[in-house]
Amino acid sequence: MATEKTYYTIDPEGKLTCMKCRVPLHKGKAKFMYLDNGFPVELPVCPKCGFVYVPEELALGKVLSVEKALEDK
Amino acid sequence: MIIKERESTHVYRQKRLFTKEELEAREVLCVHEQPAYCNAACPLKLDTKAMVAAIAEGDFTKARALYEKITPFPHILSAGCEAPCEGKCKLCSLGEGIAVRELEVAAVRWGEASKKRGLLRKKTKKAVLYGMDLFTLFLAGELAKKMYPVTVFCAQEDYAAVIAACTADLPEEAQAASAASLAKMDIKFEWNADPASALAETALKYDLVCASWEVANQVYPGLEIDEAVMVCREKKLITGKTEGVLGAAFGAKKAALSADRLAQNLDPANTRGEEGSVETKLYTNLEGVEPSVRVPCDTKENAMAEAQRCIQCHCDECIKGCAYLQHYNKFPRVLTREIYNNVSIIMGDHMMNKPINACSLCGQCSVLCPNGYDMAEICHMARQNMVSTGKMPLAPHEFALMDMVFSNSEAFLCRKQPGFDTCKYVFFPGCQATAIAPATVRAAYLDLCNRLEGGVALMLGCCGAICDWAGRYEMHENTVKFLNEKMAELGNPTIIAGCPTCKKELSTHENVEILGIWEILEEIGLPEKAKRLDKPIAVHDACGARGDTETQQSIRRIAETLGCIVEDTPYSGDKSPCCGYGGLTQFTNREVAKKMTDKCLERSGLPYLSYCMACRDQFAREGRESMHLLELVYGTSADHCPDISEKRFNRLSLRNELLKDVWKEEVEEVELGFAIDYTPEAIAMMDNRMILKTDVIRVLQNLKETGEAIFDGDSGLCVTRARLGNVTFWVKYTETETGFMVHRAYSHRMNVQTR
Repeated sequence: MATEKTYYTIDPEGKLTCMKCRVPLHKGKAKFMYLDNGFPVELPVCPKCGFVYVPEELALGKVLSVEKALEDK
Repeated sequence: MIIKERESTHVYRQKRLFTKEELEAREVLCVHEQPAYCNAACPLKLDTKAMVAAIAEGDFTKARALYEKITPFPHILSAGCEAPCEGKCKLCSLGEGIAVRELEVAAVRWGEASKKRGLLRKKTKKAVLYGMDLFTLFLAGELAKKMYPVTVFCAQEDYAAVIAACTADLPEEAQAASAASLAKMDIKFEWNADPASALAETALKYDLVCASWEVANQVYPGLEIDEAVMVCREKKLITGKTEGVLGAAFGAKKAALSADRLAQNLDPANTRGEEGSVETKLYTNLEGVEPSVRVPCDTKENAMAEAQRCIQCHCDECIKGCAYLQHYNKFPRVLTREIYNNVSIIMGDHMMNKPINACSLCGQCSVLCPNGYDMAEICHMARQNMVSTGKMPLAPHEFALMDMVFSNSEAFLCRKQPGFDTCKYVFFPGCQATAIAPATVRAAYLDLCNRLEGGVALMLGCCGAICDWAGRYEMHENTVKFLNEKMAELGNPTIIAGCPTCKKELSTHENVEILGIWEILEEIGLPEKAKRLDKPIAVHDACGARGDTETQQSIRRIAETLGCIVEDTPYSGDKSPCCGYGGLTQFTNREVAKKMTDKCLERSGLPYLSYCMACRDQFAREGRESMHLLELVYGTSADHCPDISEKRFNRLSLRNELLKDVWKEEVEEVELGFAIDYTPEAIAMMDNRMILKTDVIRVLQNLKETGEAIFDGDSGLCVTRARLGNVTFWVKYTETETGFMVHRAYSHRMNVQTR
């Protein structure tokens, strides 16, 4: 089986905890959607409630640059 | 309210911005690329401007190379050219024009001859010339340059004799140099021949037959030629009668082109392009150019000094005054074509979105350009076009548009003056005045109520300029409708605008009577508490008042009444540049906006007096002493430069306080149930990242409802988020006894979900 494409991966390494579910976030499958385009990624996700954490560096870095590129498509 | 984001990047709609004819009609107005007056006057198309520039820099070899492009015999041409360019020199209108011919002589004298050899292959069609005069001499050179194998039948015995026969008046040194040039050319000479009999005997052996006028008439008396192409069609003979050195050189150019056409078995008149001197549409501003007299070009240094008098005629009237055009370093013609292409893209990257959205739409270019080129209209049309096809991203304009929605909803106020069933006037201060100087707006309204008869209603809101600037035409139509309905509720009173942009925008509505508050103040006089400012100031004219001389003058009269000594600045009145707020540049491109503000401020070191609150704010943010006319009139100071959250807070507070104080209506304040504090770092970060305190409040309210947050062990901060409209906002906080301390905030537009 071909490996699934992932654009970005962050492993929380146990440093992040979901305050609602009181469990550590793990590396989970998530998807960024913008202007009808989807990008599968692996981000810190709460295994119980599904809260997906987008770190500041990611939001202002790669996410912002992809947003800008798509906006001018 | 949420403004709808464009659906997808995969929608391939496209609508042309202009027809091809419209595009060309606009482009032709930009004369930047028109030839300089001297270049246009030269029938040989010498790039005189570039040649003079090279001499001015002392590069005589470069100058000579440019000169050699137009003639195979630079010594002969420069010595005898009648120089029609000199009479067309723009400097003639001030003093003496540039001595172009003398500079040509200097270039030939001190510049090294070009060593470049053509890379063209020898042509197969053979050319022959019978008899040597100045015309055929030039023609032989032209044909040799074009790589035709050339044979000349002449009566002379050598090169020197040919040159002497053609150019009797030429100085000896130049004759020798020309003879040497001729010798180097790949031309076969049949010396001591009788050209006339040779023509009769040998012409059939050649493909291209040329003759001097004298020889041609000897062989074919009464010969008729087409002077435009220098050809006798009947005999297929290239010849012609020319006068003067320039005439001979130009005739030879025309004849050489005819030779090309004949060599291809085409009619010599076929596709010749533009020949000879042309009329130029160039405009050159002579402001600041001092009259000067010619320097004799007897030494290299003197030739350079003469060339340095040249002002290198060009038109950059628009770009000189506009920070936007300077930033992109493109002239309107080029920019228009690129914008036109950008709008026409069906699939792919729209590289010109940023320039389209960075124009302040102020219209300065249309005043500065001698032909009225209006880049603002083109950028505005492009924005509307891209909104209509779903290609315009919402991101650059969304904050400003949401700000407008806020002004016309939560912060909107429309009330008649207490005690009046109908009002003669309505005061419309504008969204920026209420955001930046609420105390001034309050004082102005109360003053108008006190001193004007017939009742003055109040309308706090946005005139619709924001959505118009963003190209959101549907939103603009709705805003016009909304404001018209509100005006109708007030009985359509005369509008007293506090802002020139509002005045301009609202005056486009149907059946509207509108005045600027400055006009009212001139009529009723200034209030007693008006603050005098007895010092020199520079008035910055708002782009909203472009073309409105009465407003510009009114502001100056009021300023002078208040003691101000109004000093004129460059680019004032109709030529005024934008402060950087207009056209939403402040939101779409901060770098360009800052350059616009700097451009405004570089005109004078004096304190700036404005009559648009956005201008006042932009200048104050750059540290300049800056005031709005109404601040002086009412003796009130605007807020310190408010951040984006304070601007909203100011509008809302003004509305609620006026409701309470004037209309005796209490506005219930919604209790959050928790306190929010911000670190100074968070405040600065939020302003920079366009995140409002109200956004943070909504995120924290969402946290209270859902409990969704994470704890980051590394930083010790909690992080929560909420999707508000098209944006996800993240807040990093710690809990305090009474609520939250916000440390950081950020946002992204992408939506994220698990899969």
